[in-house]
Amino acid sequence: MQDNVLELTRVSKRYGAFTAVDDISFAIPRGAIYGFLGPNGAGKTTTIRMILDILKPDSGSINILGETSALNVRQRIGYLPEEKGLYKKMKVWAIISYFATLKGMDKRVAKARAFELLETYGLKDYAEAKVESLSKGMGQKVQVLSAVAHRPELVILDEPFSGLDPVNQEVLEQLIHDMAAAGQTVIFSTHIMQHAERLCDRMLLVAKGRKIFDGTIADARAIIPRRVILECQGDITPILQMDGILGAVEKSMEQSHAEPLSIGTRHWELQIQEHANPQLILQRCFESGIPLTRFDYTQPSLHDVFVHLVGSDAKEHHFR
Amino acid sequence: MKMIWLIAAREYTENVKTKGFWIGILLFPIILIAVFFFQTILAESAPTRHYILIDQSGQYAPAVEAAIRQEHQRRILQEFVAYVIEHRKEANPEQTVANADAQIDQLIDDVDAGEVAALDQWLDSGGLNFALTLATPYLREDAPPFVEPREQFIQAPLPEGVDASASPEEIIEQMRPWLSGGRQLRVDASDGSDGSDYEETSDLFALILIPAQVNNSILRPSATPLAMNQSAAGIQYWARNLTDVRLPNAIERSINSTIRNNEFAARGVDADIVREVQRTRLPVSRLDPSAEQGQEAVSVADQFRQWAPVGFVYLIFVSLMQSVQYLLSNTIEEKSNRIIEVLLASVTPLELMMGKLLGIGMSGITTIIAWLLSFLAFILFYPGNQAEALGQFLDVLLSSDLIPYFVFYYLAGYALYAGIFLAIGSLCNTLKEAQSLMMPMIMILMLPLATMTYIAQDPNGPVARIMSWIPLFTPFTMMNRAAAEPPLLDVIGTTVMLLLSIALVLWLSGKIFRQGVLRTGQPPRLMEIVRMLRQRH
Repeated sequence: MQDNVLELTRVSKRYGAFTAVDDISFAIPRGAIYGFLGPNGAGKTTTIRMILDILKPDSGSINILGETSALNVRQRIGYLPEEKGLYKKMKVWAIISYFATLKGMDKRVAKARAFELLETYGLKDYAEAKVESLSKGMGQKVQVLSAVAHRPELVILDEPFSGLDPVNQEVLEQLIHDMAAAGQTVIFSTHIMQHAERLCDRMLLVAKGRKIFDGTIADARAIIPRRVILECQGDITPILQMDGILGAVEKSMEQSHAEPLSIGTRHWELQIQEHANPQLILQRCFESGIPLTRFDYTQPSLHDVFVHLVGSDAKEHHFR
Repeated sequence: MKMIWLIAAREYTENVKTKGFWIGILLFPIILIAVFFFQTILAESAPTRHYILIDQSGQYAPAVEAAIRQEHQRRILQEFVAYVIEHRKEANPEQTVANADAQIDQLIDDVDAGEVAALDQWLDSGGLNFALTLATPYLREDAPPFVEPREQFIQAPLPEGVDASASPEEIIEQMRPWLSGGRQLRVDASDGSDGSDYEETSDLFALILIPAQVNNSILRPSATPLAMNQSAAGIQYWARNLTDVRLPNAIERSINSTIRNNEFAARGVDADIVREVQRTRLPVSRLDPSAEQGQEAVSVADQFRQWAPVGFVYLIFVSLMQSVQYLLSNTIEEKSNRIIEVLLASVTPLELMMGKLLGIGMSGITTIIAWLLSFLAFILFYPGNQAEALGQFLDVLLSSDLIPYFVFYYLAGYALYAGIFLAIGSLCNTLKEAQSLMMPMIMILMLPLATMTYIAQDPNGPVARIMSWIPLFTPFTMMNRAAAEPPLLDVIGTTVMLLLSIALVLWLSGKIFRQGVLRTGQPPRLMEIVRMLRQRH
C-alpha cells in the first residue's frame, strides 16, 4: 500500500494571460482529512478539476491512486463539484443510486445503499420525493451523498459547506468523520476556516494560484506567534522585559471585540515565542503587582493564520 | 460500454416519464381517430339546407331539381357502398366490393362527363331498392338495415309577399332580409316517427334565380365574352355560404347539360346519339416497366408505393425534430445545473455523448413503433372503406423494401443531426442561447421538407440526385427516392458519403462536446469553435 493517494508535482494551468494555478506541488497521505483552503479565485476549483482530469494541466504531473489520470481510477474517486445541481425530475433515492451505478456499483446494491445513506443522514422521509421539491440545502446533502455512495477511496468535495445551515453543516462534518474513520481519504475545499480547524489533519493554503502553506494545523498555527491577552490598569513594562516576549500591541475597544472595558483598563495583546511559558508570564504579573482583570492564553486561530498569510491579496480577490 | 448503457437507460426512462413524450406518442393516433370519426360525424350531421328556386324562364326548374336529386342519390350510393363493404360476408368479399366499386366508378365517371341520364338509368333500374336486392345475398345475416341518408337540400316555398314575377333586381331587394339571415323561412318539417307535419323556421341557404331572359346570356364559342360588370348575368345563385359548392356545381352541371341538349335539338343533332358518343371512351392503361411481366398494370397499391416514401420522409422529419429538441434541452439542463461535472468525473465525454445519443434514439424509435402499432390497431378495429384503403397501404409497406430503407435512413439521419445538436447544446447555457445557434440547422432541415413533393414526382431528376449527395440531405432525399429504384451509384455512393459524414460529425461533435460542456458564459464565436475543433485532447 502506498503512502500518498495523491501527488501533484509542479502543476500549472493558464487561461490565456491569466495564470489560474502556478507551479503547485503537494502530496496527500492515505486516510487523511485534507483541507484545501484559499480565498475566492485562488485556483482551488481549477486544481480540483485537474486532479480529476476534467482539465489538463499545462505543465507538471499528477499521480492519483497510483495512476497518471483520474479517469483510470474514477470508480475509486468520489467528487462533489463546486456548483451544485441535480436532475430535477428524478427521485432522491434514484439519483443517488444512479451516480453510484455510474461508479460501477451493482444496481440493487446501489439502491439499498441509497436508502441506507438517506436514513443515516436524516433524509429518509424524502427518499421518494423528486429533487425539485427539495430545499437548496437538502438538495446539496443529497448531492454529497450521491458523490460518496459508492464508498470511494478518495473523496473530493469542492465547497461542501456553502449553502448549508449550521445543523446540516454538522451533519456533513459527521459524514466526513465517518468516512475518515472508514479509512477513506477526504479532500475538501473551503474558505471557512472553522470547518478546516475542526476537521482537518492537514491543510493546503493557496492564493493567486500559488501554494502558500502545506502542513498540519499545528504547523499552521506555529506560523504566527502565540498570543497572551492582558487587560489591566497601569504599566506592563515588567512583563515586556521578560524572555520570549516578542512585542505587545495595545488594542482599542473596537479592535479587541471585547466587552466594554472599565475606565483606565487597557487591552494588550502580547506576542510570545513558541517556547515561552504563559505560566511564567502570569507569575510575573503577580510579582509585579499588575492588577489583572483578564489573562488569556490563546492559540492563534486558523482564521488569523489565513489572514496573516493571504493578507491583502485576499481582499483584492474578494472584490475583483 | 456499460457506462454508455447506464446513461442511455437513464435518458430513456427519464424521457419516457416526461409529458411531452406521451403527448408525442398519443397525438398521432388521436389525430388519426379524430380525422376519421369527425369525417363520419360531420357527414351524418350535415344540416338540412333550404333553398328557394325562382324560375322565371320556365325552362330550367326540372334541371335544377334533377341536379339536387342527383346530388342526393350520389350520397345514397356512396353510403350504400360503404354499408355493403362493412356488412358483407367474409367468404366472398372481392366480388361485392368489385361490383359496387364498378358501379360507383361508372356513375361518378358519367356525372363528370355531364351525363344526367346516367343517374336516371340508375333510378330507372330501381335505384336503391334494386341495389339492396342485388346486394342482400352478400350481406351478413346480422347486418343492420341500411339507413338512407336524409335529404340535404330541400326546396322551400317563396315567403309570402314576394312576387316571383317581379324583375330580378326587385326580387333580390325583397328577399334581402332572408338572404342576409335577418329573417327566417317557415318550412314544413316532417317528423320521422309519425309522419305528421309541423312548421319550423330555418335559414335560407341559397336563392336560385333564373331570369326570364336567361337564354340571352348563353355563351357560345362565336360570341364575345361578357364584360366584367355583367357578371350577374345568367343564372343567379345567391348564398352567404361560399364554401359548400356542391349545390351550385351540381346546378351548373345539370343546367348546362340541359342547355346542350336543347342546343343539339336546335341544330338538328340527335341528343341520344350525342349521349352515346359522350359515353364512348378508350381507357389509358398505366403500366410500370419495372414490374414483372403480367403485373405491369399500375394499381392503387403501386401508387401507394410511389408515394409512401414521402410519408416516411415526413415521419423521419417529425421524429428527428422531437429527438434533437429533447437532446438539446437535456444537455443544456445538465450544463446549467453543473451535473455535467459529476458525470464527467464518472464517465468520459464520449461515453456521455454516446449514452445520450443511444437513449434518446431509443425513445425516438419507441415513438415511431407506437405510432405504427396504433396505426395497425386502428386498421384492425375500424372496419370501413377508408380503413380498407389504409390496410392496403400497410400491405404495400410490409411487402416492399421501404421499411429497411426507412430504418437505415432514420438511424443515419438521427446520428447525423443528433451529433450536431448535441454539440450545439454543449456550447450553450440556456435554451435562448441555443436558439440562435440552432437557426441555421433548422433552416437546413426545412429544405428536404420543402422539396419533398417535388422529389417524389421526379425522384431521379437532377435536383434529387444533387441533394442526395449532400450528406445533410441524404437521409431525406434517398428515402424519398427509395421506391423509384435510384441508380446503384447513387445508393452506394451516398451511403458511403453518409456514413463517413456521420463518423466525421460525431468525431468533431465529440471534440466540441468535450470542451463545450465545461464552458461557462457566452456561447463561443465561430473562430472559437474552429479552435475547439483543432484542439487535440
